[in-house]
Amino acid sequence: MKGDKKYIFLFLTPAFLISGVFLYYPFFENVVQSFYKTDGFFNSTFIGFGNYIRLFQDEVAIGSTLNSLELMLYVAIFQVGIALVLAIMVDSIKHGAAFYRTTFFFPIVISGAAIGLLFTLIYNHRNGLLNEILVSLGFERILWLTEQSSLYMVAIPTVWNYVGFYFVILLTAIGKIPNDYYEAAKLEGITGFQRMTKLTLPLIVSDMKTCLVLAITGSLKIFELVYIITGGGPARSSEVLGTYMYQKAFEDSAIGYGATLAVLMVVIGLTLAFITNKLLKSDGITY
Amino acid sequence: MKKKSFGALLLLMSLSILFLAACNGTDSGSEANGEESGEKGKEEVELRVVTTMAGTDPAGEVFEKKLEQFQEENENVSIVNDSQSADAGTIRTKVNTDFSSDNEPDLMFFFNTVDVQGIIDEGLVVNLEEAEGVDLSGYNSMLEQQRNEDGNLYAAPQTGFYEGLFVNKKLFEEHGIKVPTTWEEYETAIKEFAKTDIIPVAASTIDSYYVVEHYALAAGGNENYTAKLADQNPAWAEGIDNIAKHAEMGAFPEDAATIDLAMAQSIFLQEQAAMIYEGSWFWGQIEESGIAEDISVVPVPVYGDGGQTGDVVGGASSGWFISTKAYEDEKKQKAVVDLFNFLTSEETIIDIAAATGQIPAKGELTDIPDYIATGHDMVKNASSVASPINDRILPEAFTLIRESVPSVVAGEKTGAQVLEEAAALE
Repeated sequence: MKGDKKYIFLFLTPAFLISGVFLYYPFFENVVQSFYKTDGFFNSTFIGFGNYIRLFQDEVAIGSTLNSLELMLYVAIFQVGIALVLAIMVDSIKHGAAFYRTTFFFPIVISGAAIGLLFTLIYNHRNGLLNEILVSLGFERILWLTEQSSLYMVAIPTVWNYVGFYFVILLTAIGKIPNDYYEAAKLEGITGFQRMTKLTLPLIVSDMKTCLVLAITGSLKIFELVYIITGGGPARSSEVLGTYMYQKAFEDSAIGYGATLAVLMVVIGLTLAFITNKLLKSDGITY
Repeated sequence: MKKKSFGALLLLMSLSILFLAACNGTDSGSEANGEESGEKGKEEVELRVVTTMAGTDPAGEVFEKKLEQFQEENENVSIVNDSQSADAGTIRTKVNTDFSSDNEPDLMFFFNTVDVQGIIDEGLVVNLEEAEGVDLSGYNSMLEQQRNEDGNLYAAPQTGFYEGLFVNKKLFEEHGIKVPTTWEEYETAIKEFAKTDIIPVAASTIDSYYVVEHYALAAGGNENYTAKLADQNPAWAEGIDNIAKHAEMGAFPEDAATIDLAMAQSIFLQEQAAMIYEGSWFWGQIEESGIAEDISVVPVPVYGDGGQTGDVVGGASSGWFISTKAYEDEKKQKAVVDLFNFLTSEETIIDIAAATGQIPAKGELTDIPDYIATGHDMVKNASSVASPINDRILPEAFTLIRESVPSVVAGEKTGAQVLEEAAALE
């Protein structure tokens, strides 16, 4: 046992080192930077909580936070919800499950940048796919990306992009449920709907919780789809924390303020993950 | 047995790391030790050069050949070409990161604008007029445009650029519309094209760099255009308001608030739009799309007091910098100055300018197509040339102006409000 501990330590050391150097140290540096006003990388001035005060007075930052939270809601409901429905449906079919598994998982393989470009071309007003279809059917072109619609329009590819990921997790979870349970329930005369609500769903609650936490924290990382499809517009209507942070840090060279936005993202992510865990707390089921 | 396997694994890993380190260390080792080159008796020197001449930039290939030529003539010098084709934001971050982490390039071709001010203030690049051996002879007026506010010259230009209104003459002719030379004609062209299937001006209002600049220039000429942001010049505000007015007239694509610059360019290149505000670097894409013969460039018509039609946005906003670290390194000084002089020689400047059609900072291009010559003539005959607004003001302030244009178009803000918010950032 003592020897095992040595190996455990040795094998974990590289992971700790890599996490420390590439994750924790940069995060610490980021927190430090958030207390500085930086014009470019030079001329840093310590301003204490100046960036944080600015953050709470910045209408765009507040709007971006609200947009991120709204997007988070769509992602949590639809990504996990659709994934759950698909997983239950695919689990219940006898033939062609492999085909559906591959099809639903496929969008995960495509990079966010490629999906962003794809949807840019789909939504494009003049030459886009949707409007070309409308024109060919004799209808007028529609402006798909407006101040009112832009957030929904970026939510669609975002949901589609990751549904497959949660689908695979939930399908695997359903697959792990011992068949004896279903057979015993069948003898008791259970209906298909009861099978789902009384057996399948309660037995995969912990997996659904994992999916929700991943979806909620993951939605704060949404960047490339929004950046490519709308650039945060029109008039900041689809600006999210990721795109605003990028703009401040890398386009405007306001590294300190960008770092402050990054801290805000981490705080929101941790808080929501904690709340989700608390709300969905349940005893683990082992079988 | 188990322990032996583990030991063997550790040994193998250690050897691999040592092997990789040994492979990687060859160049830097010779540089650090300043080894003597047996044949030539000169010290081996390695220079790192950073530019944006790479990737699809036609200048990249010529630049690479020039570096090879220099290395053939100076066998003791090896050059690491760290150029990357990148947008302004990416190269800015790279250069700033390099300089702030003590890993600066020995020679770089970079924006000599507000972007480099921090590097200059830190004394990380040399004053070329005081640097021994640096040859600044033969330059045209572009050299003086590089002079810093402190009176020193830190950068030497290679080519100049201009921005203007690129027009598709064929579309104007087909629709019987006059290529605009006055503001009234410009507005007439917008109205007439708006009635057709052709978009009058291909533009992105969220990525509205050139549109903002030219509308400000049109409203007040260069006298007002060169004002400071703190002045909150009414001509700038009027220019921004005019964008909204013209958007209302149907001047821009319906989705101008969400498409990016590349998409706007694409609309123009597909001949779905009659005009676009762009820079001289755009000719490369125009030529690639095969419509160059139909395209011309004209100055934006100026209607406001403070200038005249013929005022042009342009200049030479990039230049060659020598890092102080390389210059003060006895082993590198001569090599880096020689390379600087080689790259800024008339021959090199002309060769690189010929690849892109830009205006050379030394000498003149000959045998250029008529459409390129039109742009050169526009600058030659310009009543004045001023550098773009975004080269002069805080990047954060310009982003705010640019990103606020869709709000102005939507009627949520006015040009004056936008300028006030931007000025507050400085």
